[in-house]
Amino acid sequence: MALSELAEQLEQADPTLARYNRQMLWAPIGVEGQRKLKQARVFMVGCGALGTVLANTLARAGVGHLTIADRDFIEINNLQRQVLFDETDIAEQLPKAEAAKRKIAKINSTVQVDAVVSDINFKNIVQFAQGQDLLLDGTDNFETRFLINDVSAKLNIPWIYGACISAMGLAMVVRPGITPCLRCIFESAPPPGMNPTCDTAGVLGPTVNVVASWQAMEAIKMLTGNMDAVSKALFSFDLWDNRYQQLNISKAREIADCPVCKHQKYEFLTGDFSSSTISLCGRNAVQVNNPAVGKVDFEQISRGLRTVGNPTFNKFMLKCSIREGQGERTRNFDLTVFADGRAIIKGTSDVAIGRAVYAKYVGA
Amino acid sequence: MAVKIRIPTPLRQITSGAESVEVDGSDVNELLLALCAKFEGMEKRLFKQPGELNRFVNIYVNEEDIRFLDNLHTKIKPGDDVSVVPAIAGG
Repeated sequence: MALSELAEQLEQADPTLARYNRQMLWAPIGVEGQRKLKQARVFMVGCGALGTVLANTLARAGVGHLTIADRDFIEINNLQRQVLFDETDIAEQLPKAEAAKRKIAKINSTVQVDAVVSDINFKNIVQFAQGQDLLLDGTDNFETRFLINDVSAKLNIPWIYGACISAMGLAMVVRPGITPCLRCIFESAPPPGMNPTCDTAGVLGPTVNVVASWQAMEAIKMLTGNMDAVSKALFSFDLWDNRYQQLNISKAREIADCPVCKHQKYEFLTGDFSSSTISLCGRNAVQVNNPAVGKVDFEQISRGLRTVGNPTFNKFMLKCSIREGQGERTRNFDLTVFADGRAIIKGTSDVAIGRAVYAKYVGA
Repeated sequence: MAVKIRIPTPLRQITSGAESVEVDGSDVNELLLALCAKFEGMEKRLFKQPGELNRFVNIYVNEEDIRFLDNLHTKIKPGDDVSVVPAIAGG
């Protein structure tokens, strides 16, 4: 398109698009691309380090509909890299998805955001993924990534993998039936404890920003229909060592004996490989999913907790530091219960102890 | 022939923090075995069993997946860039 033609289109465009002027000046996007972004629907799984950068960037870029799912609450050590959150959100005890929604409303009120304060698992992912144009990975674990990978293949929706640790990052675009999927590249996850996580090895803010910005750029290309520009490589970098690579994965679909692409086996989506109580790697915490379905009564749970701590709650979550036993046997747990009954118990990485604490104070 | 292998962050706990390690070998398998001999715990991270890599680790020679080349038998020339790329989970 000639630049004069683009300038004319910009002048005649819907005035609500004026805020995207700098983006529309980039000819491959233009007014038409901007309209496509406005119509686009994106499901973002995880709203921590990667997720906040993704949500921030895509909301500012004018992606019309964002569904943001996250199971966690905000802690002070998140603020070093999780760009959408601040100290007020912690004081108000907001879950991450809700805090992100409120922040985005201030950044770009034309974006429709659905906040999902929930663990995304094989039981509910289809419901959220259906009807979306793109799935984005802002998670911190392989189980959820393989689940996204399964649902992407099953529903034929592209997704973008991104992961980082310390100064190192990896990212790739997965287009079902066209490019290799995550399990063509990494068929299985490392066993627990074998790989360091951000909670054990640390992570630097710029690393997160590079990975998520790369993901966001690929998302913008895809959502505006610029498919020829979409990366086909596995992007790998180490910002500390100044090493950047575009690893060639073009033949992985043919070569790998991939359970998803070759055999249409969706082991994570069927629940074969899922867990309802999990140890949150490196965090000295356990997550327990509500075995029953439905909301829990915070007032009632608070009453039971007053003998062991000082529970506080709002409509999103209940928090209580619990002190059990005496002397050498004293054990401390930080219990957080969400409105759907899911809980995170900090102070143990033992799944059985986590379940026991849940059974005692929340209900079996 | 001595080749320098870059050690990615997740494996540096095994190499006492070393970012790259020089090892001898004429193909990928020899290089990796030499690396495993040097550092305790490395073999478990790289190999499922002798001759078979774990499915959460990929090896690239000059940015090409060795699975598209000659797998562990891929020959190494002087100046080749050998990368170990483990799956990472953070985010």
